[in-house]
Amino acid sequence: MSTPTHDPQSGDRPDRGPGTANPGTDPTNPSPASAKGSAATADANPADPANPADANPATVDMDEPPAGGSFTRYFLRKLGGAATSMVLVIVLGFFAFRMLPGDPVLKIAKERPMSPAQIAELRSQYGLDKPVIVQFWDYLVGIVTGDLGESYVYRKSVSSLIGEYLGPTLLLTATAAVIAIVLGLWLGQISAWRRNTLFDKLASSTSLIFWSVPTFWLGLILLMIFGGTLQWLPTGGMITPGLDPWSPAGIIDVIKHLILPVVSLVAVVYAQFLMIMRASLLEEMNEDYLTTARAKGLTEDEVRRRHAVPNALLPTVTVVFLHIGGLIAGAVTVEAVFSWPGLGKLTFEAIRGPDLPLLQGTFVVFSAIIIVMNLAADIVYRFLDPRVRRA
Amino acid sequence: MNHRTRRKTKMFTSHSLRRGWQRCLAGVAALALAGSMAAAPAQAATSEAPASENVLRIATDGFIDSFNPFTSFYLVPTNTFRYMYENLVANDAKDGSITEGLATEWNTDSEGKVWTYTIRPDMKWSDGEPLTSKDVAWTYNQMMEKEEMAVANGSLVENFDKVEAPDDGTVKITLKKPQANNPGQEIPVVPEHVWSKIDKPGEFKNDEKSVGSGPFQLESYEANKSITLKANPNFWRGKPKLDEIQYRYYTNSDAQVQAIRSGEVDFITGLSPDQFTALENADNVELNDGNGRRFNGISINPGVADAKGKEFGTGNEALKDKKVRQAIRAGIDTETLRKQVMQDYAQPATSFIPAVYPDWALKSDNSVISGFDVAEAKKLLDDAGWKEGSGGIREKDGEKLQLRFLTDADAPIEQSTAKFLKPWMKDIGIDLKNESSDVDTVSERTTKGDYDMYFSGWSINPDPDYQLSINTCGQRPDADGNGGTSQDGWCNKEFDKLYQAQHVELDQAKRQDLVQKAQAIHYEEAPSVTLWYPNQLEAYRSDRFDNFTKQPSDGGAIANQVGYWGYSSVEPVSEEEATGGGMGAGGWIGIAAAVIVVLGGGGWLLSRRKKSDDRE
Repeated sequence: MSTPTHDPQSGDRPDRGPGTANPGTDPTNPSPASAKGSAATADANPADPANPADANPATVDMDEPPAGGSFTRYFLRKLGGAATSMVLVIVLGFFAFRMLPGDPVLKIAKERPMSPAQIAELRSQYGLDKPVIVQFWDYLVGIVTGDLGESYVYRKSVSSLIGEYLGPTLLLTATAAVIAIVLGLWLGQISAWRRNTLFDKLASSTSLIFWSVPTFWLGLILLMIFGGTLQWLPTGGMITPGLDPWSPAGIIDVIKHLILPVVSLVAVVYAQFLMIMRASLLEEMNEDYLTTARAKGLTEDEVRRRHAVPNALLPTVTVVFLHIGGLIAGAVTVEAVFSWPGLGKLTFEAIRGPDLPLLQGTFVVFSAIIIVMNLAADIVYRFLDPRVRRA
Repeated sequence: MNHRTRRKTKMFTSHSLRRGWQRCLAGVAALALAGSMAAAPAQAATSEAPASENVLRIATDGFIDSFNPFTSFYLVPTNTFRYMYENLVANDAKDGSITEGLATEWNTDSEGKVWTYTIRPDMKWSDGEPLTSKDVAWTYNQMMEKEEMAVANGSLVENFDKVEAPDDGTVKITLKKPQANNPGQEIPVVPEHVWSKIDKPGEFKNDEKSVGSGPFQLESYEANKSITLKANPNFWRGKPKLDEIQYRYYTNSDAQVQAIRSGEVDFITGLSPDQFTALENADNVELNDGNGRRFNGISINPGVADAKGKEFGTGNEALKDKKVRQAIRAGIDTETLRKQVMQDYAQPATSFIPAVYPDWALKSDNSVISGFDVAEAKKLLDDAGWKEGSGGIREKDGEKLQLRFLTDADAPIEQSTAKFLKPWMKDIGIDLKNESSDVDTVSERTTKGDYDMYFSGWSINPDPDYQLSINTCGQRPDADGNGGTSQDGWCNKEFDKLYQAQHVELDQAKRQDLVQKAQAIHYEEAPSVTLWYPNQLEAYRSDRFDNFTKQPSDGGAIANQVGYWGYSSVEPVSEEEATGGGMGAGGWIGIAAAVIVVLGGGGWLLSRRKKSDDRE
């Protein structure tokens, strides 16, 4: 136990600054490092009798640096992987949309009384008269310098458009993510604790039903019931035009507009969190330490909350990170249904265009978000679970 | 095994981890609490907001690049320009014929080369500055001189040689070649005193506080949120009764339907027949089944070629024989299609000029018109040498008569049309295969001539010249789509002569006759079969507004007109309506939800904290 972190650390110790007191002597050290260390110890194989450190876990815990040489290597390896994915995404972003059938200029000019000169002028404005390889080079140079090109439709730089539309998307997805995670984890732990009861069956099956429902369809049904028929909530947009979003009335208005899209998004994703939480808690539930906790006289509730759930959270947290990336991408559908002026809607409109630079830009940004989230999941996982650190 | 130590570590973990969670949740709760506190005193303000204002709210999902009338060619900006800028001459609400705009009178020399317009005196721009012929000449000259100013409407001034303003009340347009179509249509005239001061007018967005001459001026624009137009008090026909028009963005057309049901918008257009019928029983919603200025048809590959006659594409050789094309038309029961596929929300069609332009549309009593006639179709195919073969499919020189019908997989109307067509074509001995694909593939394949038949459609302006022109030989593009634009990739010398003749015929009656003849040739040659003229399905809140003007005024549509009639005449129904904009149940539900989340979350956290504190 703890060997994986123990080994490299002995070599690392001299590198550590004098500011770090010898943690072995300070078992009550409340610093985050010690917290992480203890978390790590908890999940490492405790059945390893060969390791004497097991006998004195507090000391071992405190010894452990969160970042050692192996971590740097691990981090660099993961970073390298992420960078490779990013490069592939950038290349793919250019060619995938160019392989789409149809000429964007002809599509834009379709059914409009345009002369050949006008069409040629558009082509040169969009840079589509250059050879593909030159366009690709311009695109690469642009990406490196942070310039994602200019949108055909909006006649604005793609970077500034994405910047403008990122805010509403973050508001929507962050709200939905927090609610879905809290709701999913909460229902998940209760379901696991009371497994096979009516509550468990109801909660699990309801969540799975929502999970199977197409987001688009669910959104429209909600819209019809609460927007069109009951007229309780607005049918689209983020704010009533003319209101200042930072005024009190504006904030209420935004909250009203937020409810239906958030509910649709939450309904469709919270099952993932519920199922993960339920599964990891079930795994914990046969552990001996729970018996001990009960023997100590703790109530069932306390056993669950203080002992079982925190341990079950470990695998859950990393999966949560993975899903947050997906949630942002999932906003495309919801934004299209509820006319939410965010990145998803921007992408949707860009496909209709087709607005190639904008499509490329949103594709690269969405992919980057997911790659960064995956990287974050890898890193968080390593902090939380020492078994990965051994690798 | 050491239970004790293990439990200890577990507890340690749980504690520190939970700390993190608590901090995080506490943060969220605090934020929510702050939000709701800030929101609480706001209720009163909300209900007072835009309630009693006289604002027509219209749902839209259109693209907008800018509101620059020189460069933007998207549908929504173009329609907005019609409300912002008066043209030299306008197209009447009644039937789209030419009527006075900035000019009160106009005449031309004997051959139609020099057009002289008399401008109405004492007109003012929306900012109060005088509007004279100088503004008209300046606008036109910008488009003629600068490429970047001709992006949107360059084709309209291509034939202009020079435009002069000899005095404040006169505009003189000298054309390169004579034309019968009034050249003063559809070009938004902008104020010189504003636009001449702009550095790069080609890049000017013009998206707030516009200065114009039309009934409404652009007040503000927020991308993907709203467009606000304000009534122009200086409009020469008089200030509109509406104070404002506000376009609101709805990406999804089903959401638009819900928005009109709930009264969040006052007008929607472009409904599908299903959406339209769904609104029949909605409270306070009035429907408009307006005759549209569009046609739908089936384009048949007559052997496409570029302007020089160089053939390209994969069109079936059989279709080069006009008898086969005529047989296809005779085998299609367009009346059944119109009733079944369009659910009767379309007008019966003859040729490519829709019935809303009675002066120009091909008359249904024209001798060339032949109806649905299976026997005739079979006879035509027999005559063309296609004999009945095995399985009922006709053959010629050992080759079966197999055709591909290219459709958009996402368009229900095209898919149902294809379903009707297959057995009908089978009846006359043609094996028709529906190749449905995404709209981009369809567009690419039609450009390359890689089709036998496809579903097509065009919107037509009041003057038929443009649509006739894209049926001439010289307008055919090459396989890359370069060159002109062609409706069906078809070429006929007789038709071209008639096009040229009508192009310069100043006598309206004679010109109409030439246009009839040209369409008759197109009909007889059958490079396409016009199926119907789809209606524009619209709905408005009759509890809020009334007196919309249709174009044509008898049974026409309100939106997408050629002109500014639709909303300019709109009047609010009553003064006291104070619905909309209020707090409503939704607000209360929102507040209740926020309170529950905050109280519940906060309480839970507090209890947790207490317990963990106890434990320590």
